[in-house]
Amino acid sequence: MKHTSGIKAGIAACAAGAVLGLSAAASADDAIVNNIRDRSIAYAVSGGHWGFYQTADGKAECPDGINDVGPRETFKALFPDDGTKRSVVDTQLAREAAIWSPEERTYDFPYHYAGGKVGLGLNLDGKVGPNDFTTPDGEKGIDNQLFRALGCLRWLRGPDGIGYHFSDIYMREFNYNRGLIELTNVDSLADDPDVDVTIYRGRDDLMADATGAKIMPGGTQRIDYKFGQKFITHLKGKIVAGVLTTEPVKEMYWPFAWFGGNPGAQHILDMRLRLKLTQEQANGFIAGYENIEEWYYGLARGRSTHHLAYGSVSAPGVYKAIHELADAYPDASGKNTAISMAWGTDLTQVFLQKKPQEVAGDVPVASKTERAGDRR
Amino acid sequence: MRSRSLCARSLYVSVVGLAAGFGLAGCTDTSSHHVAKSPGVAAVASYSGTPARVRRMTQSEYTNTISYVFGSDLTIGEPFAPLPRTDGLLASGASSAGMTAGEFQQLQRSASAIASQVVDKGNLGDRTSPRRDFLVPCKPQAVEGPDDACAAKFIRQTGRLLFRHALPDAMVTELTNNAHKGAADLKDFYAGLATVIEGMLLDPGVLLITDTTEADPARPGHLRLTSYALASRLSFFLWDAAPDDELLKAAESGALYTKKGRTAAVDRMLASPRLEAGVRAFFDDMFGFEEFAVTAKDPKTYPMITGQTLLDSREQTLRTVVDHLITRHGDYRDLFLTRNTFISPTLAPVYGVPSTTGWSAYEFPADAHRAGILSQISFLALHSHPARSSATKRGKALRELLLCQKVPPPPPNVDFSAVENPDPTLRTARERLTRHSVNPVCAGCHKITDPIGLALETFDGAGRYRETEKGAKLDTSGSLDGKTFASSEGLGQALHDHPQLGSCLVRRLYSFGTGGPLSNSDTPAVEALSAAFAKSGYRVPDLLRMIALSDAFAEVVEMPPAPVKTAAAGLEQVAK
Repeated sequence: MKHTSGIKAGIAACAAGAVLGLSAAASADDAIVNNIRDRSIAYAVSGGHWGFYQTADGKAECPDGINDVGPRETFKALFPDDGTKRSVVDTQLAREAAIWSPEERTYDFPYHYAGGKVGLGLNLDGKVGPNDFTTPDGEKGIDNQLFRALGCLRWLRGPDGIGYHFSDIYMREFNYNRGLIELTNVDSLADDPDVDVTIYRGRDDLMADATGAKIMPGGTQRIDYKFGQKFITHLKGKIVAGVLTTEPVKEMYWPFAWFGGNPGAQHILDMRLRLKLTQEQANGFIAGYENIEEWYYGLARGRSTHHLAYGSVSAPGVYKAIHELADAYPDASGKNTAISMAWGTDLTQVFLQKKPQEVAGDVPVASKTERAGDRR
Repeated sequence: MRSRSLCARSLYVSVVGLAAGFGLAGCTDTSSHHVAKSPGVAAVASYSGTPARVRRMTQSEYTNTISYVFGSDLTIGEPFAPLPRTDGLLASGASSAGMTAGEFQQLQRSASAIASQVVDKGNLGDRTSPRRDFLVPCKPQAVEGPDDACAAKFIRQTGRLLFRHALPDAMVTELTNNAHKGAADLKDFYAGLATVIEGMLLDPGVLLITDTTEADPARPGHLRLTSYALASRLSFFLWDAAPDDELLKAAESGALYTKKGRTAAVDRMLASPRLEAGVRAFFDDMFGFEEFAVTAKDPKTYPMITGQTLLDSREQTLRTVVDHLITRHGDYRDLFLTRNTFISPTLAPVYGVPSTTGWSAYEFPADAHRAGILSQISFLALHSHPARSSATKRGKALRELLLCQKVPPPPPNVDFSAVENPDPTLRTARERLTRHSVNPVCAGCHKITDPIGLALETFDGAGRYRETEKGAKLDTSGSLDGKTFASSEGLGQALHDHPQLGSCLVRRLYSFGTGGPLSNSDTPAVEALSAAFAKSGYRVPDLLRMIALSDAFAEVVEMPPAPVKTAAAGLEQVAK
């Protein structure tokens, strides 16, 4: 079956790609590229999409079809134009309230989950369960129930879904999205059993290349020590065949600014990275679990109803779906509070200007290093 | 609204165009009665003068002058058309440039815009400053009408700076009357003043830099520049702008004709921050950087080269020049070896180095293969094709721009197929050019350019470092006028040691300073200056000082008289 990946580089496919070692390497046009300095190399986010597997016609992953019931459709169904006099409070405002105070049991419109067996992401629990996906390259046990919940929303399907379309743009244009990943103690980008990985938030614009379509490697980023402390996270990792895989950390915040560029974050539990590395790019997944209530209110805050309407996204429907598919971090009652996810991220090599800035309080401090416990 | 008389003066420019230098009478005296000395530098004898010329102001001279007179925050525009490169310099082309009606229209628009800004009353909402409050040295009695006393004060003060000499009373009166009429007609003192400002900015006396002359009392029968003309020559040479008030005062007092006074004036100018503008203008011209205006790279081949990258590469080299030659007082020849430079965020990806926000000083590591301005993006990218490097262009540029040599253009029937559509088995430029040069018609020129340019093949058409081309190891060995080398660093050293490197700079600087291309009469002065430059350790500020203080800089040499054309003579020529 012909398929296209929801992200630009499926990790499973990465391993087969050529990888570059620590020493300077010649690119396709012979220019010498060596971006490793003092056994360190860093990358800045230059694009990103949810790690959703996608085929051209969608039939494989969405056998029940693409969701086409959004705010407009539900409103029309609930309040048909039949001459009944209704107040704004009982109609529009009631629907807005339903977004902010959703009740999963009351949503009764069709909502299609992604199905099939193929998906993208990582095996978070080390197990192969009945609801897990298998990557196009055969890796089993992929935990990505967020894909099951959202994978058939037109809004998030590429290339035309409005959420998909603006994702790369927002990653590039909003500096609050400037996630940075630095690898230190690197002996080889091809194979290294022990590397240190640190996540930061950067402060500077990215530079588009002469085509205007891509981000140029080789830029420099200052680290946001002042307002970005919560993003600073340390991980341990290893590089095998040019692919970095980290151990999980208990939690981390990943810069995620959406509507209007307002600062935000994905709060990812049991988070780990898997990235294909080159001297100029890193592509792959940030994966873990997200608290479903936090995630949902991030959705509500970041997208207005009319934006959701463009992609036929019913927020109460999404709320119901993620509650049904949550697969980790059970509460005292046994109900899962978090959902497995994978965020596909594209990063471009940058140099880091790590010298603390002159701003008072703009200095690095110790950050979270606690490893993930078995709380699933 | 401009005054009729000013319109007439201005239109003169568009109608008659700007002629080449005037032939003026007299020979120069070879006696050295004004000897210039720099500390530790041998005296430069005066062997000759220069022809008196009329030349058009260059764009940068105009911009700098307006900025210094009215403020650097004015929007000036770029009303001047490109100049023809003459004897290696655009500045020399200014002495033989004409002006089209279209260009004059551009100048008029610029002048009008500048005048409006000068008398701007300011607007807080638009964040424009009330320039009239500090550029006009007095307040009119009433804004709604003329104030001749205030207008005259402004005209006398500002006109002196624009025309580069004190305005005759008759001219002040004429311009004041124009301001009066404008203010009365427009019921606005400042609007009336603006018409005069616009007229002055279009006046040939402002736009043309004229070497006015007078009898030289030290050399009976010969001419020298008037003190105002000498002040202008000094100022446009060292500052790329019109003289300031202090220099005009020195001219008015006659101090520029005394050794002490002229030395003091030149030393003050060399110590001024304005010197940087002069040095930048000269090297921008000498290095042919106007070509950046028409240079673009194929974005698919060189995606890292944006328009800003090219702008910054020009700026990088000029910053390097100023830092090395002026700030560090370095040896000019070391400009082709130094690893000290400046980096901007757009240049850093091409060099593969970190940067900071804005410009920052940077020293390339010893193993970075970046030494001297030949290895900077400006030289490498400017003298390449849009999608590939060019050993020939680089070699030609080195010889013509830096050694003042002339490389003949290719013959009209040359077959470029060997390099334009090369045999795919030929992977490197050396292989392609070797095949191309099999043709003896081509070989003659390529043998003087390619052995130089091939040493720079370790930099692609964008200026990125490489060691292979299409996977084939690059051979960067070559030779420059008998000196062999194995790498781009070796080429830099060979250029550093080349006997013509220093004398070429002297030739160009002397032309730049005296406003026109060199002639045979300049040879003695250039040779003497070249020797003194070498003795100074190739220090450019010392060279600037020597040129500015040399007798030849102020003295006028006659051009040979033009043959008298009579009807009889014409017939005689035809008969012959």
